[in-house]
Amino acid sequence: MEIYEVFRRAGHKDPFEHVGAVTAPDPELALLMAKECFFRRAEGEHLWVVRRRDIHSLKDESLLRLPEGKEYRFPHAYRDVITLRKRARERSATPVEAS
Amino acid sequence: MTYEDRLEAFNARIEAGDKIEAEDWMPDDYRAGVLKFIEMHANSEIMGAIPERECLPSAPSLQRKMSLCAKIQDEVGHSQLLYRVAEDLGKSREAMYEDLVNGRSKFHNVFHYPTRHWGDAALIGWLIDGAALVTQASLLDSSYAPYTRVLKRICAEEQLHLRHGEYITLELALGTEHQRWMFQDALNRWWLAIIHFFGPRSNPDKDLLLRWKVKTRTNEQQREEFLDRYVPKVLELGFTFPDPVPYYDDTTGHWAVREEDIDWAPLEAIKRNEGPETARRLEWRRRIYEDHRWVRETLAEAALHAA
Amino acid sequence: MSAALAPVVLALADDELVLGHRHSEWTGFGPHIEEDIAFSSIAQDEIGHATAYYRLVAAHTGDDPDRLALGRAPSEYRHAIVCERPNGDWAYTLTRHWLYDHADSLRLASLAESKHADLAALAAKMRREERYHLLHADAWLERIARGPVEARRRIIDALTIAFDEALGLFEPLPEEGDALAEGILPEPSETLRARFMDEMSARLERLELPRSVQGRAAETAEFIASSSGDLIAGDEAGDGVDRPGAALGGRRGRHGPDFDSLWEVMTATYRADPGASW
Repeated sequence: MEIYEVFRRAGHKDPFEHVGAVTAPDPELALLMAKECFFRRAEGEHLWVVRRRDIHSLKDESLLRLPEGKEYRFPHAYRDVITLRKRARERSATPVEAS
Repeated sequence: MTYEDRLEAFNARIEAGDKIEAEDWMPDDYRAGVLKFIEMHANSEIMGAIPERECLPSAPSLQRKMSLCAKIQDEVGHSQLLYRVAEDLGKSREAMYEDLVNGRSKFHNVFHYPTRHWGDAALIGWLIDGAALVTQASLLDSSYAPYTRVLKRICAEEQLHLRHGEYITLELALGTEHQRWMFQDALNRWWLAIIHFFGPRSNPDKDLLLRWKVKTRTNEQQREEFLDRYVPKVLELGFTFPDPVPYYDDTTGHWAVREEDIDWAPLEAIKRNEGPETARRLEWRRRIYEDHRWVRETLAEAALHAA
Repeated sequence: MSAALAPVVLALADDELVLGHRHSEWTGFGPHIEEDIAFSSIAQDEIGHATAYYRLVAAHTGDDPDRLALGRAPSEYRHAIVCERPNGDWAYTLTRHWLYDHADSLRLASLAESKHADLAALAAKMRREERYHLLHADAWLERIARGPVEARRRIIDALTIAFDEALGLFEPLPEEGDALAEGILPEPSETLRARFMDEMSARLERLELPRSVQGRAAETAEFIASSSGDLIAGDEAGDGVDRPGAALGGRRGRHGPDFDSLWEVMTATYRADPGASW
């Protein structure tokens, strides 16, 4: 018997999401069982089962932590945009001169 | 890194409110304690299917026949989720099942009692699921993360069960004299067991699961929350409580039962797997398990074909 | 309104209710936890279909669906006897599920052509839902047929009993003549029975299961009337093999002791308080 991890997607706008696992002999029964274990209330429109041993994960999850100094990858690094915009507007009174 | 260093780091993680995953290092006592706790929860879900299953064949209408079947199906589904989580701590589902049917492990006290009629379906669905929900909701912030993830789903379904149970209860409360009697009779028989459900007073110093934040609330906190929530609702419907009769404590502002009114002997018997229905229900489950070895062998062989 | 409609639809409803009741006895006790969950859904589906049929009858007769389901005397139920048989082990349950849902599928395909528009629409809707039942039953049968010796033996033993019994599903109702004349039933039961035999023969062959499980039923072309007026499977003399025989009589309200006890339990709460609403 195998453990099959179960993924479901609510609709086309959402990604697949892991919802649990079933113990089944093969993919066909795993799908039938997953339908009953995880779709009894129309929770989704799409179903995947994947053998657990076919899923790979990072040995060292600390690698997922971000190194220091990566603020520029986030919107909050640009929160000054409002003050900058205001200052630029004030400055706009002065025409741009050719240099 | 020595075991002791790891233990210290682990304790620090717990102290900081960090959550533990199945792949993380954990002390042996934590693993064993969490496994035992979740295993008992899983056992209780599947054994908890039986009392309601006994009410199912005589369900009084087509709708109730389907809705109760669906409700029990959910409970079996909970056991499926929980056994899966427990398995990842290092004990196979088969081993857990065998321990259960051979009386080597435990399940919740309320599932050791007999059912008599449809009033039991109402009471179990409302008050026992209500009690279970208080307990389960208190575990949503448990330190063992895989457990909290399945509890999220379990609690959502239990909310529905509660609604279902209350609905059936209200049908009885609004019904004929016989229907009203059904709920009162069930309440008379089940009340003490519900009080026992939360267990005797916790001892936080000795309770490792509390220390490691697997459990986050004491037994008496949970009992109090249950009483506050349900006693007024039951009284409102015109039903009365048997011993231990709950009373409103003006000084604390909470509903309570007097410690000296609680007879703990039946709970002690159940802890030894000597409840009124323990042997019969375990034997029934054991027989079905033994008689269907060939089904497991069929699935195992199908797995070989698929490999 | 046609007088034949109610008996035809009640027989369908009773099949689904009584079998759904039996299926639901597995709830909480399935031989595999995921399968326990799956089978409970099938039980609910069958009871759900029964409910739809009872509502159809009730809409025409002004009766109450719950009274039809739980408030009649045992002899008023028209289900085939195969539906009331105790579950036995998982092999018998599964076999009956396989046979019943294939029979039901043929029946629904036929009923979808009924001249009675409501019945035809209902049958068409149920056909879609039945697809999952067939998928489920076939998936299990396949694995057991390819499975270990004991599993194969059990399924063959179960088929040997259940196949004959399942033919009771095609026992004609006393009202069949009228129902055919009015187009409520598009085809006679005998036609469906022959179709069922052919279809199941082919399936047995694909599963490499012996056709002998079809037993006496395979050798006889039709039901014949006995001297007492009951319909019995032909070739009553038999082949010397001890078989329970096609379980007939259900469509005329004749049931066995299995149904007496099932009925006692199923209707107990309802009967205890006939004025109550639940």
